Amino acid sequence: MTQTDTAVRLEAITKRFPGVVANDEVDLPVERGSVHALLGENGAGKTTLMNVLYGLYQPNSGRIVVDGEERQFDSPRDAIDAGVGMIHQHFMLVDTMTVAENIALGNEPRKWGGLAVDREAARREVVELSERYGFDVDPDKTVAEVSVGVQQRVEILKALYRGADVLILDEPTAVLTPQEVEDLFDVLDELTDQGKTVIFITHKLGEAMQAADDITVLRDGENVGTVDADETTREELAELMVGREVVLEVESTPPSVGDTVLDVEDLSVRDDRDVPAVTDVSFAVREGEVFGVAGVDGNGQAELVEAITGLREPEAGTVEFDGEDVTDASRRERIDGGMAYIPEDRQERGLVMDFDLVENGILGSQHNAPFAAGPTIDWTAAREHAEGVVADYDVRPPNADTEAVSLSGGNQQKFIVGREFERDPRLVVATHPTRGVDIGSQEFIHDRLLELRDEGRGVFLVSSKLDEVQGLSDRLAVMHDGDVMAVVDPDEITEEELGLLMAGEYPERYEPRSERDAEGVAQ
Amino acid sequence: MSAADRARDLLGRLVRASAFERFLISASALLLSVFIGALIILGAGRMTDCSTAAYTIAVPGQFVTQFVGGGSVFAMGFCYDPFAVYDLLFLGALGDVLSNPLNSQFATTIAETTILMFTGVAVAVAFRADIFNIGVQGQLVVGALTTGVVLTFLAPPLAGLGVLATAVLLPLGLLLGGVAGGAFAAIPGALKAYADANEVITTIMLNFVATSIALFLVSREDYFKDPESFASQTVPLPDVALFPSFLFRPRDDVSVLALAFALVVLVGTWYLLQHTPFGYDLRTSGLQPDAAEYGGVDADRTIVSSMTLSGALAGVGGAVYVLMVLGNFQTGVPDYGFDGITVSILAGNNPLGVGFAAFLFGVLKSGSIVVQVGSDVPPTLVGVLRGLIILFVAMPEFFRMMGKKFGSFDRPGEPVTADGATGGGSDE
Repeated sequence: MTQTDTAVRLEAITKRFPGVVANDEVDLPVERGSVHALLGENGAGKTTLMNVLYGLYQPNSGRIVVDGEERQFDSPRDAIDAGVGMIHQHFMLVDTMTVAENIALGNEPRKWGGLAVDREAARREVVELSERYGFDVDPDKTVAEVSVGVQQRVEILKALYRGADVLILDEPTAVLTPQEVEDLFDVLDELTDQGKTVIFITHKLGEAMQAADDITVLRDGENVGTVDADETTREELAELMVGREVVLEVESTPPSVGDTVLDVEDLSVRDDRDVPAVTDVSFAVREGEVFGVAGVDGNGQAELVEAITGLREPEAGTVEFDGEDVTDASRRERIDGGMAYIPEDRQERGLVMDFDLVENGILGSQHNAPFAAGPTIDWTAAREHAEGVVADYDVRPPNADTEAVSLSGGNQQKFIVGREFERDPRLVVATHPTRGVDIGSQEFIHDRLLELRDEGRGVFLVSSKLDEVQGLSDRLAVMHDGDVMAVVDPDEITEEELGLLMAGEYPERYEPRSERDAEGVAQ
Repeated sequence: MSAADRARDLLGRLVRASAFERFLISASALLLSVFIGALIILGAGRMTDCSTAAYTIAVPGQFVTQFVGGGSVFAMGFCYDPFAVYDLLFLGALGDVLSNPLNSQFATTIAETTILMFTGVAVAVAFRADIFNIGVQGQLVVGALTTGVVLTFLAPPLAGLGVLATAVLLPLGLLLGGVAGGAFAAIPGALKAYADANEVITTIMLNFVATSIALFLVSREDYFKDPESFASQTVPLPDVALFPSFLFRPRDDVSVLALAFALVVLVGTWYLLQHTPFGYDLRTSGLQPDAAEYGGVDADRTIVSSMTLSGALAGVGGAVYVLMVLGNFQTGVPDYGFDGITVSILAGNNPLGVGFAAFLFGVLKSGSIVVQVGSDVPPTLVGVLRGLIILFVAMPEFFRMMGKKFGSFDRPGEPVTADGATGGGSDE
């Protein structure tokens, strides 16, 4: 690699926030015409670094060199002018406008001496552009009509339309099905073939290895190494990310199942906008098994979980917990009956942000022994409990007097997981239990989850991480559009088949609607 | 950094201030308000005509010579003396407390403080559950009315029993006030919980209802009006039904027993909030309703019960007002309920802090009277000075509350985020 081949070079970038060094003298050379993955755990400083390159943040020190020229970006406008474009996790598109209008928005060609927008010219340019890169998008559909994968391509086209040579993608695969991810990677290949440069942020090892030419790993705001994607291994990358050796595979022994602990029959649930989110879903979770739910986020998993845990009233159907009909039971009755619940939203639901960990440790158990001794709360017992969770689940800082708000997301998650796991539950409802948690703690949480299973408790697991649900579950339900497409054996199904089911299509082996009952194909 | 950013930053720092910092802020706010008040007094003193200056700023001759070159003494007179005013305002309320701690001025201060403790803690309890109970005034009136009216019938037959009658009637009277105030507050509580009616609106309306009902019942002889009085009031209760005045003179209308009772109530409320499952539920739903729901707290029931508790405390305050100060129920109850809101904010909604805040209020209230009597300063100006102090001391706490409620002042630059799957934000 010679100097002239470098499209972007970040030199010793340091970005400090009050109390935190997000980027510590980070160097990042990105070769022209390559896909460069920026890999790291949450909080490693990936997005901050890219926000610096995109002009959203100004670095405290360091140099930004684009096309061999040192630049200073005071705003994204400057970055765009220099040919750097960024596609955020959240698309910034106007739903009611067409694809072409969205792409040209703000940079429309003018006619009549600049007085009017030349829509025809804009549309022509967009069509030309998408053909050049082989994008399959219909310029006349509104954004609301096209799939998430296409919306992402619209975002990429928007950046290209504005003259971007370097494209930054922030966690581009988070919202996509496996098939859409493949398509995205093809698009990236096409872009680099035509001389564009792509930097994409991810925390997923597999994607980085598959799509990138070079991988730079960030840990705690520092560049811990740039490696060639073809010459590295998952193990090496994981070690770079975490700083120690990591066991990646989940060791799961066959389950020994007992009675049914959760029985969901014909459940239908509406979401906040009163739109049906779950329609007519039935399944059963037994003691001693992990029943997983896979699916792209937003296909009814959240509403299903809330109906089971008592936070949302179902429209129809029944929920039986431990042999009793709890469809209309209050949240507290379910907690008291032994239902532990790791909620999806840890900051709104799972923790009271202004409470310290001692107080948070009894959330849900505030009326129960050993914390409620007679009419008063036994704060000594509560403190011991919280300190136990903090120690066992490696919550940092290891101080039960810390307020929840000042913990990092991963540590908040660890505390919730610990609190719920140690509730002595009959059933654990876990949604995204390792979201935002570092790989080392993921291992521990997975092990503990399987331990609970082996003790004969039921586990209902929802996760958007495919390897997680696939690895941990004994049976796996795939949800699409509020419906359970199939209940499958996670060890037998291929990733392609899973992807098809998640996208709402049936692969040959899985007949529609015949295997939807509780005793699915795993039997 | 723009001005808006700086303001946000400041608000964030205020939200995160430690207890000691908050004390320092309050203390300096008090000093600043006195300083500004002094300037206002001087300004007003210059604009008024008076034959002899109450206060003179004089600069010795040679000092002036040095700079101005003139020879005479430079002096400027003011009609009001700020030092004297603040001396009267703060210390007048205490009277000659060192040589005679039981003087009647101090008695007034204690009486005011006692009632404000109840209304202050009533507002605080509701605030902790994130409910804005503006109806404390109405609940106080209803409590006072109930106590005054019911005891009119129960007290006379027992009057002969002496201390025994007091032991029965006094707790009974307080209980009546609490039950009535609580029941009256349960109405807006239930309306909020089950009909989604904003409690600010309903409690304000119910304040008028309470005052009107009271006026109706005690202004007609067919009902509970004292036939021997021209005023709208109930028949005076026998002394055995009232708070005994152990130390102070009976005519000072104050009782150390009532003050002690108020302190017990404050500590009890604090204990209830901090050390019982009910208090935990209440605080959790006040801070984060979604987390409370997740933790099995019945939101509707908590709203009703915290409103009921708040109203009960206000009602007991009303009963104390009748049994300690008035001796019967009279219309035209002072604005203790509304002052309770300020007391609560001043105390950061902490029941223990309410004691101090109520005392400051009590001092200012009875001090104002002393200033009006003991100096030429017009009553309106005294009101301004009092308002200034309350405004300055309460504002930092008020901004803190608002910042907590509406701002997100988590650790700056380190937003806690979910990972890519939902993408709560960017990771740092």
